[in-house]
Amino acid sequence: MQPDYLVVSGADKRFGAATVLRDLSLSVAQGEFVSLLGPSGCGKTTLLRCIAGLLHPDRGRITVGGRDITALAAHQRNVGVVFQNYALFPHLTVAENIAFGLRARGISKAEAGPRVAEALALVRMEVHGDKPVTALSGGQQQRVAVARALVVRPSLLLLDEPFSALDRKLRETMQVELKQLLREVGITAIFVTHDQEEALVVSDRVAVMNAGQIEQLTDPVTLYHAPASLYVLDFVGQSTKLSGKVLSSSDGMIEVQTAFGVLRAPASFMPGSSVAVAVRPEAMVLAPEADAALNTLRGQISDISFLGSRTQIHLNAPAEGEDRVILELSRLPAGLATGQEVSFGFRVTDTMAFLA
Amino acid sequence: MMAPASKAQKLDPLAYLALPGLIFMALVFLAPLLLMLWSSIRGADGFTLSGYARVLGDDYYIQVIGQTLQLALITTAGALILGYPAAFALARAKGWRQVVLFALVFLPLTVSIIVKSFGWGIVLRRDGILNWLMLNLGLIERPIRMIFTEFALYAGMINVFLPFMVLPIYSVVRMMDPRLPDAAATLGASPWFRFTRVTLPLSLPGVVAGVSIVFSLAVAAYVTPSLLMGDRYMTMSMVMAKAFLNLRDWQLGAAMAAVLMTLAVVVVIGAAILQRRLGTAKGS
Repeated sequence: MQPDYLVVSGADKRFGAATVLRDLSLSVAQGEFVSLLGPSGCGKTTLLRCIAGLLHPDRGRITVGGRDITALAAHQRNVGVVFQNYALFPHLTVAENIAFGLRARGISKAEAGPRVAEALALVRMEVHGDKPVTALSGGQQQRVAVARALVVRPSLLLLDEPFSALDRKLRETMQVELKQLLREVGITAIFVTHDQEEALVVSDRVAVMNAGQIEQLTDPVTLYHAPASLYVLDFVGQSTKLSGKVLSSSDGMIEVQTAFGVLRAPASFMPGSSVAVAVRPEAMVLAPEADAALNTLRGQISDISFLGSRTQIHLNAPAEGEDRVILELSRLPAGLATGQEVSFGFRVTDTMAFLA
Repeated sequence: MMAPASKAQKLDPLAYLALPGLIFMALVFLAPLLLMLWSSIRGADGFTLSGYARVLGDDYYIQVIGQTLQLALITTAGALILGYPAAFALARAKGWRQVVLFALVFLPLTVSIIVKSFGWGIVLRRDGILNWLMLNLGLIERPIRMIFTEFALYAGMINVFLPFMVLPIYSVVRMMDPRLPDAAATLGASPWFRFTRVTLPLSLPGVVAGVSIVFSLAVAAYVTPSLLMGDRYMTMSMVMAKAFLNLRDWQLGAAMAAVLMTLAVVVVIGAAILQRRLGTAKGS
């Protein structure tokens, strides 16, 4: 495994007055799955197109396996792309679509045959080879797009919102299926997505992008539990955010005054600074026993929402204020009703604090 | 008209909206056409094919038919070569650029063919704009004779019929997914391979439509050849006009018209079959 297999260094890209990538650097190991996650306009698709060679950065370098590909055109790079909505060739059959890359490389029809059959088998589409691609379902089209990109053995596979055209149920199955398939092939893959859940499911590391830069690049667990900024916190998962003021700070622990009371968080900020304290909904418990490792607060239930596998409880602060706490329980205790005042708690170590 | 009730019910009632147009065309187009075909086979002693024998047995008329076909083919080819890239530029342009390109391609349609043909006369004359320009640029020493040459004729014809090539190709290209050539590039396809295997096959229905429209218009052209070439380059339409107006030889004119119509219909039907075949290759 090569640690710096794909390296983007110092990439800038402008479209007229708009800067879409700013001094962006990214390093991906061989065989690794990395997601580029961010809202539309954050530059993630531009970065993907730069790596594919469909766009060229104004400044910066891109290397794959130590080879500088910055100046190469797309067809010279051997970088595969699965496009959003797949961009299959409508005038060709499934097999002809898959054979396209081989034929483009001057491989004869006869030689391409077995490799096309192999690729069809890889995505379990053997029986559909002679169909026109327009007759396929969304999931089948995605498989053809993946097979078409993989059959030429690219050095890298880029996937642009590969699941966005699929309905929710199919999307979840295809995410796992595609992840396993790409692992089997052993290819390095970059996913572009605006769906944070998808990024967490499919990737080894997630790069959260903001205004043409990478805000945080880390594994999904760290990203979820230790977001580097409020931007990342807001983009990945749900959370309760309380604004407050730092009362004291010692040994990497701060005490914060919030509308719900005083709580502690592992951070070092100057006393008096304004902070936002955040907790994931599932990290909270209702009516906890006294424990020094917990922040224990009180609130009034304003809403109970049953979501199937879990129940969300919204709490208002006893004091005036707009802050609300959302906590999630897998099982709803009997006799809980809106308007009731309850105590709730969460571990100090699960408490995240950011300068506001 | 006396179709069984079950079949009649299957007919979409919206189809009746075509009725006024059909009646109009039947009265002003179909009826005169049948009358003309009738006059092409009517001799002094009843039925005769002597009109066709005169057209197809005379070296002069065969030469006219050949010249007409040559003019139509060169016009169609020229319009295709110039119009195909223009259609792509038009389809891919955005904002005000597309408006300007549209105006450049389609405003000439609003100028009468006669005005345009006279315009070409002014440009190509011995003391015309083109000669003046080339003389002053030192490209030529003496004015070149361009008007009443085949070059002038081809240039004028292509100018007149170009929009009819651009429009159908444009409407097909506009519907094409612009990411398909990108996808081909990421699969290792060179620009030439991308064009011949993706762009060209997908734009072919537009090309077939444009070729059949321009060919059938050019093969019947009358005004442009008469104004830019005159009697030196007789086309079938010019022979027809002469036969009807000067010679009062209805049999000859009608037979020539029937031959011309057959040529145009063969091309249009051939194009329709080709288009259908391309369509099914993609769709089923």
